[in-house]
Amino acid sequence: MEKINQLLEEFRNIAENPSKQLEKFLKQGKKVIACAPVYTPEEIIHSMGLIPMGVWGADMEIKEAKSYFPAFICSIAQSILEQGQKGYFDGISAIVIPSLCDSLKCLGENWKYAVPNIPFIPMTYPQNRKNEVGIEFTKASYKRVIKDLERITGQKFSEESLAKSNKIYNEHNEVMRQISDVLVDYPFITASQRNDIFKSAYLMEKENHTSLVKSLIEELKKMPKEENKKIKVITSGILADSKNLLEIFEENNLQIVGDDIAHESRQYRVDIKNDGNALDGLALKFSEMDNCSVLFDVDKKRADYIVNMAKVKNAAGVLMIMTKFCDPEEFDYAIIKKACEEAKIPCIPIEVDRQMVNYEQAKTIVQTFVENI
Amino acid sequence: MSEEVKKSKHELDPNSAKAKLNKIIVDHYAGVQAAKDRGEKIGWCASNFPQEIFQTLGIKVCYPENQAAAIAARGAGQRMCEIAESDGYSNDICAYARISLAYMKVKDAPEQNMPQPDFLLCCNNICNCMIKWYENIAKELNIPLILIDIPFNPDYEVSDAQVAYVKGQFLAAIKQLEEITGKKWSDEKFKEVMAISNRTSRAWLEATSYTKYQPSPLNGFDLLNHMAVAVCARGTIEAAEAFETLTREYKKAVEEGTSTFRAEEKYRIMFEGIACWPHLRTTATGLKSRGINMVATIYADAFGFIYNDFDGLIKAYCNVPNAMNLEHARDVRKAIVKKTNAEGLLVHTNRSCKLWSGFMYEMSRQIGEDCNVPVISFDGDQADPRNFSEAQYDTRVQGLMEIMETNKGGK
Ligand code: SF4
Ligand code: SF4
Repeated sequence: MEKINQLLEEFRNIAENPSKQLEKFLKQGKKVIACAPVYTPEEIIHSMGLIPMGVWGADMEIKEAKSYFPAFICSIAQSILEQGQKGYFDGISAIVIPSLCDSLKCLGENWKYAVPNIPFIPMTYPQNRKNEVGIEFTKASYKRVIKDLERITGQKFSEESLAKSNKIYNEHNEVMRQISDVLVDYPFITASQRNDIFKSAYLMEKENHTSLVKSLIEELKKMPKEENKKIKVITSGILADSKNLLEIFEENNLQIVGDDIAHESRQYRVDIKNDGNALDGLALKFSEMDNCSVLFDVDKKRADYIVNMAKVKNAAGVLMIMTKFCDPEEFDYAIIKKACEEAKIPCIPIEVDRQMVNYEQAKTIVQTFVENI
Repeated sequence: MSEEVKKSKHELDPNSAKAKLNKIIVDHYAGVQAAKDRGEKIGWCASNFPQEIFQTLGIKVCYPENQAAAIAARGAGQRMCEIAESDGYSNDICAYARISLAYMKVKDAPEQNMPQPDFLLCCNNICNCMIKWYENIAKELNIPLILIDIPFNPDYEVSDAQVAYVKGQFLAAIKQLEEITGKKWSDEKFKEVMAISNRTSRAWLEATSYTKYQPSPLNGFDLLNHMAVAVCARGTIEAAEAFETLTREYKKAVEEGTSTFRAEEKYRIMFEGIACWPHLRTTATGLKSRGINMVATIYADAFGFIYNDFDGLIKAYCNVPNAMNLEHARDVRKAIVKKTNAEGLLVHTNRSCKLWSGFMYEMSRQIGEDCNVPVISFDGDQADPRNFSEAQYDTRVQGLMEIMETNKGGK
């Protein structure tokens, strides 16, 4: 148990101190590349000997970004810019911003002027990503990222090195899927601790994160499974890392037994097939990704995916963590809500915002959900 | 991105451009309805979907954006938005999408009806919101959706990779549509359609260019109305002829010193963004009463698709305003400000449109500095009447006027 607590403490320390991590990498003489949501080809960055570091904004008051963004842009995009303007990312070599939603397109454009000391590298993904022309376009966009990274950092790209990184990332995917499943049997681990495990993945070299998670899995498996008295839920949305919100889950005895959060499990669903050219493999991976609000989904499979997850995991309900002003999620919500209704699974929207200080509404929603079970 | 055409209150000369343009819209909706009644498959189509495709195939479509604008202009924006909201759609979602999703459900809006779709044609060169909106309709109505994905271009020029990607989708879309409708593609017809589209676009660009005259022979708000034709009938001879008539009328007006701007033109501005359809009168009056004419809008250029060949066509669709990076979008606007001698920039910070408004602060700052014109913005919404304050609008426009006045004094 002591070992488990130590590991959980380590995840928390890292998750809560991105600046410390950045400082550590810079001190080691490493070059760091910021990776904005929702999907960045981290494998490429990693393979070039650079440190990819996820930036998803922070819970903070938006001040300076207001001169770039109107108020109705989500607080994730706003706070990433705000952090950039305030110097949180100083020392970082570049930022890669994929343009998978309208607000992210704007983040890239604003970045060039608001944070001129950190170069912006655009990553343009195709939405028709499954056919040949789509895969080719993904590859062309990757090549453009590689060119920019080479120019800015002086590091070189090689296929062999990417093949190695692809393997490291696949292994990481695997342990992340595993930990999500394993945690179901250990309800003493809180929602907040679960989030630390996922969040720290963005702030470490993946191989190191993999071994930490592996140790945790090993230690947990040594323990007897405890009787589970918690209320099992599924979470869905872009981001659910607010400590205040996660505490409310705790107070109400909720256990997250699976998630469809972009910042969490959506990252780890698809592996790279390592049988051919490494860059092709990476482009193919993107073509196989699905069930996400920022990826064209003509059949709205995501709704069924969530319903199915809730059934398989025996969840009492689906908590839709809605980032305010996130229109991709807002559109999907209407369809997911309907699918859940048909399957008789409670689907509870909880609006969150990185600027939020008052969680009373969220609290009431969660309490009502629990009372109605 | 679109507009409405007001019903004429009094008899119009049937040979006037206005009558012709109005007729095109009326005929357009009637034509789609007639096709539907004949049992043909008809589509709903995004305003910037390459119309050359379905024009060539002889397929009829109608435009949810035009419809939403018309519904909003005729006062039903809030009613329709609330229907969508009761289905779980957030009121932060683009109001065109909300109106359209509501219409899909209730299937009736006396303000502007149109037939229900058998398939959907989506193109996201104006926004990704479009994808989500059409996905939901496709799911709810269980009909096919064809997406031509034209990604936002972070570079100034359109890359070969992007052209290849869009071209591939263009060809795939033709095949899919052939399968859905049973109609056949003809290269001959395609050439014809491209020629007509170019002719219409040239006529549109020429007509809109008349705002460069001082005073302008037209009230710029006229363009917002005529734009519906540029959207829905670009590939038709009637549209080309109507815009050519419009050009002749403007030419004559310049010679005779008349204008559809019914006030003395004291100031000339560029208006940035989609009109506030629910408050069209208020916004127009706020300008006219101060002698401010809108002589510049990105819309004029937005629907002028000029190209020489297939690659050119693809590039034209990659270079629509919301698909261009800040520098490119800025330079296009700077050229418009210069060409029209606009003395100020009035920016509609449109709550519906995240992409349009999301980097407008910086872009308009740069335009203002580079062109040495004052920039003032106001908060509004293209179709949800609740997101506009008349008092704020009035104060801002007054402020803009005062700076323009001072600038004139100084010159
Ligand atoms: S939260 Fe939504 S709107 Fe904001 S950046 Fe992410 S996907 Fe885009
Ligand atoms: S989000 Fe903007 S560009 Fe897209 S449909 Fe709405 S108004 Fe048009």
